[in-house]
Amino acid sequence: MKRFSLLALALLLFLTGCAGFTGGSEGTQASEGKTEDGKVKIDFWTFWGSEIRRPVIDKIIEDFNNSQDEIVVEHTYIPFGDIWTKELAAIAANNPPDVVINDINATALRGQEGQAENLAPYLEKDDISGRFYENLWDATLYEGDSYGIPFNTDTRLLFYNKDAFKEAGLDPNKPPETWEELEEYAEKLDKKSGDTYERIGFYPLYGVGSDVWLLNGSGMNYFNEDDEPVINSETNVDTMEWIKSWKDKYGEDTINRYQSQIDSQQSNPFFNGSLGMMANAATFYTQIRDYAPDLDFGVAPLPEKTSGSGNTSWGGGFVAEIPKGSSHPDEAWEFIKYLTDKEAQEYWAVKNFDNVANIEASESAATSDELSEKDQMVYEMAAQNLNDTLLTPMPAYAPDYVNLINPQLDAILIENKPAQEALDKAQQDVEELVEKTAQ
Amino acid sequence: MKKKKWWTMGRRESLQGYIFIAPWVIGFLAFTLGPLAFSLYASFTDYNITSRMDFVGLQNYDQLFTGDDLFWTSLYNTLYFVIFSVPLTTIGAIFISMLMNQSLPGMRIFRTIFYLPAVLSGVGVYLLWMQLLDPGTGLVNTILSWFGINGPNWLFDPDWTKPSLIFMKLWSVGGSMLLYLASMQGISKNLYEAADIDGAGTWKKFLHITLPLITPVIFFDIITSTIGSFQIFQEAYVMSQNGSGGPASSMLFYNLYMWIKAFQSFDMGYAMAMSWILFVVVLIITIINLKLAPKWVHYEGDDK
Amino acid sequence: MDITQRKQLAQKRDRRKPVLSNNLLRSLNWILLVVGSLFLLSPIWWMISTSLKPMEEIMQFPPTLLPQEWHWENYVHTWQAAPFTTYAVNTITITLICVVANVFVNAFIAYGFAKIPFPGKNILFTIVLSTMMIPGFVTLIPQYVLFAKLEWLNTYYPLVVPALFGSAFNIFLLRQFFRTIPNEMIEAAKMEGANHFYIWRKIALPLVKPALATVAIFSFNGAWNDFLGPLLYVNDESLYTLQIGLQVFKEQASTQWNYLMAGSLLVLLPVIILFFVFQKYFIKGANITGSSSFDK
Repeated sequence: MKRFSLLALALLLFLTGCAGFTGGSEGTQASEGKTEDGKVKIDFWTFWGSEIRRPVIDKIIEDFNNSQDEIVVEHTYIPFGDIWTKELAAIAANNPPDVVINDINATALRGQEGQAENLAPYLEKDDISGRFYENLWDATLYEGDSYGIPFNTDTRLLFYNKDAFKEAGLDPNKPPETWEELEEYAEKLDKKSGDTYERIGFYPLYGVGSDVWLLNGSGMNYFNEDDEPVINSETNVDTMEWIKSWKDKYGEDTINRYQSQIDSQQSNPFFNGSLGMMANAATFYTQIRDYAPDLDFGVAPLPEKTSGSGNTSWGGGFVAEIPKGSSHPDEAWEFIKYLTDKEAQEYWAVKNFDNVANIEASESAATSDELSEKDQMVYEMAAQNLNDTLLTPMPAYAPDYVNLINPQLDAILIENKPAQEALDKAQQDVEELVEKTAQ
Repeated sequence: MKKKKWWTMGRRESLQGYIFIAPWVIGFLAFTLGPLAFSLYASFTDYNITSRMDFVGLQNYDQLFTGDDLFWTSLYNTLYFVIFSVPLTTIGAIFISMLMNQSLPGMRIFRTIFYLPAVLSGVGVYLLWMQLLDPGTGLVNTILSWFGINGPNWLFDPDWTKPSLIFMKLWSVGGSMLLYLASMQGISKNLYEAADIDGAGTWKKFLHITLPLITPVIFFDIITSTIGSFQIFQEAYVMSQNGSGGPASSMLFYNLYMWIKAFQSFDMGYAMAMSWILFVVVLIITIINLKLAPKWVHYEGDDK
Repeated sequence: MDITQRKQLAQKRDRRKPVLSNNLLRSLNWILLVVGSLFLLSPIWWMISTSLKPMEEIMQFPPTLLPQEWHWENYVHTWQAAPFTTYAVNTITITLICVVANVFVNAFIAYGFAKIPFPGKNILFTIVLSTMMIPGFVTLIPQYVLFAKLEWLNTYYPLVVPALFGSAFNIFLLRQFFRTIPNEMIEAAKMEGANHFYIWRKIALPLVKPALATVAIFSFNGAWNDFLGPLLYVNDESLYTLQIGLQVFKEQASTQWNYLMAGSLLVLLPVIILFFVFQKYFIKGANITGSSSFDK
């Protein structure tokens, strides 16, 4: 026993000599941040650690570091989701990094809560707001001031299987334009053997949620221009009933056959033709390209509810923000400007096949030589679609309102609650929440 | 004279007792008490972590009890989970350790296999379970279909989400198996031999020897797994739709709701009030358990 | 009748029993264990199968049960996708310190709660238990701020120093085991003039070896699998741990399942080996109830 204790003690002493106990290879405090040659060092946190993304962002950083001799950006990868818990803790401890990539839909809220620096003073000096799609820019505003600069974004499109179209006697170059056509096409694409479906024509909730169709149907998100919740509108009731009718058409068992495969982003039935059409993010294309290269597919905007109601789509994205208390906000701003300028944005867009916030970069990426013909086709469609893409920013006055709506949407689809009743309840709950927060 | 001497001995012993527990007391004062006190105070404020911390009195508590349906939903879901998972996992663990406490060929391998799921942790495992529980192509329903059973929709049916999680918990029951094994190893073989002589069967031996002697560990397991089950979080966060406790709020557990409040709405004061309510609930249950313990927990070493 | 006589008698009785029923029971148990193992292993088998597939195959619908081709090189690729060797060294460092500290410190504290009478013990013990009841999120921010003030950020101190002061779970666990040691043994030692430190080291610790092994295994797991701790407190990527490293295979909208599973299995392997080897320490543990065992 004694010998073991001594051994353990020796081991402890030895291990505490390791790197983790001497403070790592660099200083602990961001505020110390100067390199030996007097450049300012800024800390940049992202969640882009994969083999695909990391080299791209590292190259952009390297280019920035080489483009001037005042600032050195140091990149730290922190896993998705947890990165923001850590950011928050670091802000609370007054020791935050200088630039962080964060969710665009919560930017206004973070502005209100004092988590991010107000960028208005910088924008007064050089206004870069014109670089970005309007909806993206607006999502960053709290009381008129921006709290984060849009970096990348996404948008939902309709993917359809051209071979299946031909087989069903449909024109592969004429995707459905309205919900009615969508139903018609789906009916034709359905393929049954006995009682089981060999191919499902379309199911609206594979790939996107009910909220996307509500947005698509009404052309607006849950709040109107006066910040009032609009949940139980006639259109929304209609939309929910429409989704429900799909569920009734195919039946629970058929729908559940694919659902969790799609949810977990594995073995996708669209790849082998078991699913005729599917709404999904534009970047879903990269999965088709990499994993089902032989699939002949087309992309189109989401169909309109009725002719003329608009092909409104839904998107999200990320901003680059300066956390409150950053020790080098001026240098951070310089870097953010570079990050969201055409060159860096186009490089990101082309290398990752990702939608970027910068309009010019987005447009020129669509015709970039580095993209294949098919790449270009999808990218151009996505870039165009961004003009019709709405975001769903978390309103500062009712940040967690979706938690009141989602259970009701589920109740309609799962528990057969009448759509009107469920949406009325959601409307009432959200109104109460808004009222309470206002107090 | 004699009495005085006895006293000093008692005192000396108490002093030794304090020295033994001193590390914990120091650690508690240095690392735990401060943050706890802070969170208790913050539960009476509108603390948002970064910029605001104004005293609001009992407003958070008032809102929770009178104006927040989701709070009650989350409490219900959590109690449901605790009530089923604690007894089931306890019984499961005892049963498995009984099996494991024999000498059969390959027992070391069996023990390792049964322990393995307890080591697997992290998000990957939950994603794996989503695959296994897939209603159409998942392994679980595939196996059920071999027996002609039409498996449920597991994570897509609000009535089946919590049973799914309990099922998952049972899969990884090997962690507590370890405790019981360690405890069963301590039981003298003589007792079993004596019972053999009296002609007792396996079940009788279990009931009259094994079970009473492992009660200290059963007690430990019940208390800690109750506390742990009340804090179920990550399973629901990863496996529920959008991490928000769906479908139909059936996986909105107490800690998940608290997390949403704290780190999505940044209403940390509110979340801290929630945590103190949970604390009181769990504390009461634990104290009841502690008070009931002498009636059924048998410590071989204690004087009668 | 003394023990030897009883034992002989029991053996006679055994002989009289039909051998078959005993063997049958054992075979049934064995079959039960095999079936149980297959059930427990099925997810692991799925992990192994996924880890050997190329992504194209993982995305196929419906999913294949076995890889069409076995891509062992996935494991090499996984290990090279991030500096996993560094991460492994870091993880081992943290884990070893936590295990050693946890076993000794908690055994020390638990003995005090189990076997020494002192005023205020019950209240203090209730406080120990209550520290488990507060969800971690609410103390996360204040604790982070505390460690920041101590200038411990970007070091391993926040991960290992608290382990030096015991943890409620382990204290409680070991207390349960210490309490099963007969008081007479301790009284006898005290009569001979031993103090509690001596008794702890020479009598109590050896008697609870199985429990110490359990604590060692639990702490190993805890530290090995800890994700949020290192993630919060370490900023420098060269100080990251294996669990953080595994995250690089997960993008926000897509996951490299084959590498993630290969990585998870590689990270799991040392734990399994350790458990397999370590078993004998708690299976061959001493007898708490005092008398020595006769079997085998």
